[in-house]
Order: sequence, then C-alpha cells, then structure tokens
Amino acid sequence: MEDQEIKPILGAYSLNYFFGEKQVLKDISFELFKGEIITIIGPNASGKSTLLKILSGILPLKEIESAGQVFCQNRLLFKMTPDERARSVVYLSSELQAEFPLTALETVLMGRICHHLHNYVEKQDIARWAMEQCVCWGLRGRFLHTLSGGERQLVNLSRALAQGSRVILLDEALSKMDLHHQTMMGMLLKKLVQKNYSIVLVSHDLNQCLSLADSCVLLLRGEKIAHGQIADIFKESNLKKLYPGASFVLGQNPTNLHPHIFL
Amino acid sequence: MIIKKYLFSFIVLIMAVYFGVSFGATSGLDFDSIVQLRLPRVLLAISSGMSLACAGAVLQALFTNPLCDPYTLGVSSGAALGAALGIVLGFEAWFLGLALSAFIGALAFMLVLILISLKTRLTNLTLLLCGVMLGFLGSSGVAICMTIGDAQGMQNALFWLMGDLSRARMHGVLLTLFVSLILIFMLWRKSTQLDAFLMGEENASGLGVSVPKLRRQFIFLTSLLVGLSVASSGMIGFLGLIVPHFSRKLVGSLHFNMIPFCIIWGAVALVLADLMARVLLKPYELPVGVITAFVGAPLFIWMILSDGRSRN
Repeated sequence: MEDQEIKPILGAYSLNYFFGEKQVLKDISFELFKGEIITIIGPNASGKSTLLKILSGILPLKEIESAGQVFCQNRLLFKMTPDERARSVVYLSSELQAEFPLTALETVLMGRICHHLHNYVEKQDIARWAMEQCVCWGLRGRFLHTLSGGERQLVNLSRALAQGSRVILLDEALSKMDLHHQTMMGMLLKKLVQKNYSIVLVSHDLNQCLSLADSCVLLLRGEKIAHGQIADIFKESNLKKLYPGASFVLGQNPTNLHPHIFL
Repeated sequence: MIIKKYLFSFIVLIMAVYFGVSFGATSGLDFDSIVQLRLPRVLLAISSGMSLACAGAVLQALFTNPLCDPYTLGVSSGAALGAALGIVLGFEAWFLGLALSAFIGALAFMLVLILISLKTRLTNLTLLLCGVMLGFLGSSGVAICMTIGDAQGMQNALFWLMGDLSRARMHGVLLTLFVSLILIFMLWRKSTQLDAFLMGEENASGLGVSVPKLRRQFIFLTSLLVGLSVASSGMIGFLGLIVPHFSRKLVGSLHFNMIPFCIIWGAVALVLADLMARVLLKPYELPVGVITAFVGAPLFIWMILSDGRSRN
C-alpha cells in the first residue's frame, strides 16, 4: 500500500522534442502523483502545450516516440495502444471544436469510444454520471455550437471523465470561462483530486494556478528552470526570469493563504 | 422516432425509383424496354448517388470540414483523369479496368490533398481552394486525354466532366451497386471511430482512435467509392455536399444513423436529378451533373456565408 503511494501515476523522463530545427523541449522530467495537481507555468512559446500533448500521446506517435520516456501507471505510454492510452491520460484543449451539429450528450458519449462498449444503456449511465459531476446534465440535448465557452468546457470535462482516465491534462481549459464557471471548475477539480484523480494544469491565469495546484514546474523556452512545491519555488527571482518585463508584487491571497500575484 | 424517419425515407426512395422508371424521354414504352433501358439507369443512379453521398460524409469528417465533397476537393477529377488515362492506355477492355484506373486517379489526388493538409496547417477554405485547383488540373487532363484518345474526343470528355448516366448497362450496374454497398458497409462498421474525427484529428487521437491507421483505411475506401462512381457515371458534383448536409439535419452527425441516411437520400437525390435531366428539356437530355450543380452550388455558397457569419 505504502509502495503504491510513492510511485508516480505519470512520470516524464528527459523529454526532448524538436519542431523542425527548433528544440521546443529540453530535457524535461517531472512526476505526477495520485491526487496531485501540478501546474506548468511559463511565458508564451515555452513549450507548455507541446509538453501536454506529448504526455497525452496525441501528437503523431512517429514524432514523439523518440522524445523521451513517459510512464503512466508503470507502463510506457508510447507502447500502449491508442485506446489504452485514452483510458489512462486525457487531454483537454482550450476549445472544443463544433464544426458539426453534435449535442452535448453525444459529445460526452464519445469519451466511451475507447472502451468499445456497445451497451447503450450502460454508456448513457456513465455519461450521465460524468455530466452530473460537472453540473451540466441539463445541457445534454443542446447543440455544442449553441453553448457558451464555459458551458462547452464543462461538457468537455464531462467527456474526459466519461473516458475514465485518472490523469487529466488541462491546456488553458479554464481560460474562456466567466467567474461563475471558473469557480465551479475550481471546485470540481478539487473534488476530483480528493477522489484520487491527478491533474496537470496549464493556464495563463497564475493566481488561478496558485490557488489550485500543489506543486509547479516553471518552463522557459523549453527548459525547466524550477520544480517543486509552490511555496518553495514561487519566488520573485524565479518569476522575474519567466516574465522579465512584468511588474508585480508577490503576496498572499487573503482567503486561502496561497501565494498571490498583485499587479 | 428514428424508425419513422427510416420508414419515411424508404417510402420516398421507392417513390423516386417508381417515377424514375416510369417517366422518360419517350412515353408508353413496353415492359422489356423499360427493363433494358431505364432500370439500369435508375440502378446506376442509386449506386452512384449513395457512393458519392457516403464518400462526401466521410471526407467531411476526415478533414473536419462540412464543405468537403469528392467534387469540390478534386477527387472526382482525379478519378476522371485516371479513367481517361485508362482509356488512352487501353485498360477499358479489361474487366473493371476502368474502375481500377479511376480508383488510382482518385487515390493519387486524395494523397496529394492529405499531404497538403498535414504539412501545412490549412484553414477550411484554403484546403477547398487547393481542392478546386486540383479539380481544374484533373479536368484539363481529361480533356487532353480524350482529344488524343479518339475521334469523338470532346463528346466523351463531356461525359466525364458533367456526369451522365446514359451509359448504364445491366451487368455492369449490378456489379457496381453490389461493390459499392460492400464498401459502404465497411465504412459504416467504423462509424464510431469516424464520429471521433468530427472533433478534429487531435481530439480523435485523444479519444483513443488510431488516427493514422483509420485515415489510411478511410482514404482507401472513399477513393474506391469515388473511382467506382466516376468510372460508371462521370463526375457528378455536389451530391456529396448536399446529401450529408441534409442527413445531418435529419438524424444528427453520428455516423451510425447518418451513413444509412446518406445511402437512401443519396440514391433518392440522384434518381430524381437524373429524371429531371431526362425530362426537363425534352427531347434534349441534360448531363445530370448540371442538375446537381444547380442545387449544390448555391447551397455551397450559402454554407460558406453562414459559416463566416457564425464565426464573427
């Protein structure tokens, strides 16, 4: 039992990734444990999205196979079949595409494709559970393109839950939400973590990251410049390296005593 | 609910076939000549109609672009060019030689398109423009081949370029129909995976679908469908745009039901279009591609405009 707690649920080791000639990721390693929220912070073009896409295996496999090693639940991620991978790690982008008329329920049901289930009732039950977790069961009959950005993200997260993977990678998934939806997502993520889900969070809203995450990785031009508990590495010197032009004061959030950035 | 829609569609199909068989350039034909002349033609319309509609539906999912169609993407042109080259090289004499060369042409153009869309991150409209240009290239190639090929060159070229069902013969048609149905069935069996493509390729891969493998299979199957249809009835445009569009309105975007609806309504659409082509300007006969273009081109423009409006 003790042993299981210590093993990371997702581990990335010495990831190197090239986009053409340009090296996007330089020797990145980090581990994600059960029930942990880790946030990846860095300026634009620091390789955050690429890192998440590699961790979820959604970039073409031919390109990422040589990038390094990613273990998920003690198995090599790139050696898994696509459906196994989808059941282990799920990636949420900032925008859910809505080129075609799909209802919210149909979208969530797509999360079950990787389970090859043909029992419609069972699928529907899981989709209902997932949508109720995200408080969006009421939207089930609506078409995606009629939903607001926030509602769409809730549907997207339900899809991720329906997929059944325990590791959720959020790529700017909270950025297009209003205050109400942001708070709801925040509460939802904390609830998931208590249920032993693990989350990697990428967001430009640093304060949001700080109030949710346990630890963080600081990325600058594809290099990891610091990694650890938020309280240890969230220092003005580190932030100045990431955002040299910004002026801010690092303080404490009065409501939850997490670090907070005042502009 | 869905069963009622299926029932309704079947009734419409039967009615369309009935009208297609009973009306034509001349009235009062006896039973034998109907079976020999009109029935093959109607069957060919069914076969080509469903093939093109299903190919359109798959292409739209594959490129995540509701404006795709074998014709607008130039794939039909590729097939026609392949077939025209096949005629020049004398493959026509072989069993299925024409369909095979059309398939190779369609496949070649399809691969060019896929390469373009993979190597560069194209917007929907840029991809379509590339497709339209490929289409011009293919059509010009067809005109050259047919002029070199034989004395009646331009006459034949017109057949490939505008679509025409008058070459239907019973044996060939039954084979085409049978093979198309099998190919569509193979597509339909992968309908859940095809659904994942509706969310875009990255999301499809995140949903646990093996994107490269499925893409290869879909490209192969749609090229076969388009090749078969073009080899037997020339280039018929916009059917693969119109029918999936309306099928989606009827039963939603999930392919489990949408592909059967594309089969039925694709058949209905082409049978009726061919009927119109035959009787509209009696005693002259129009190429059927003219009729589908008259419906399809305005729809296409309307879709582009409404798409732009919803974005802004």
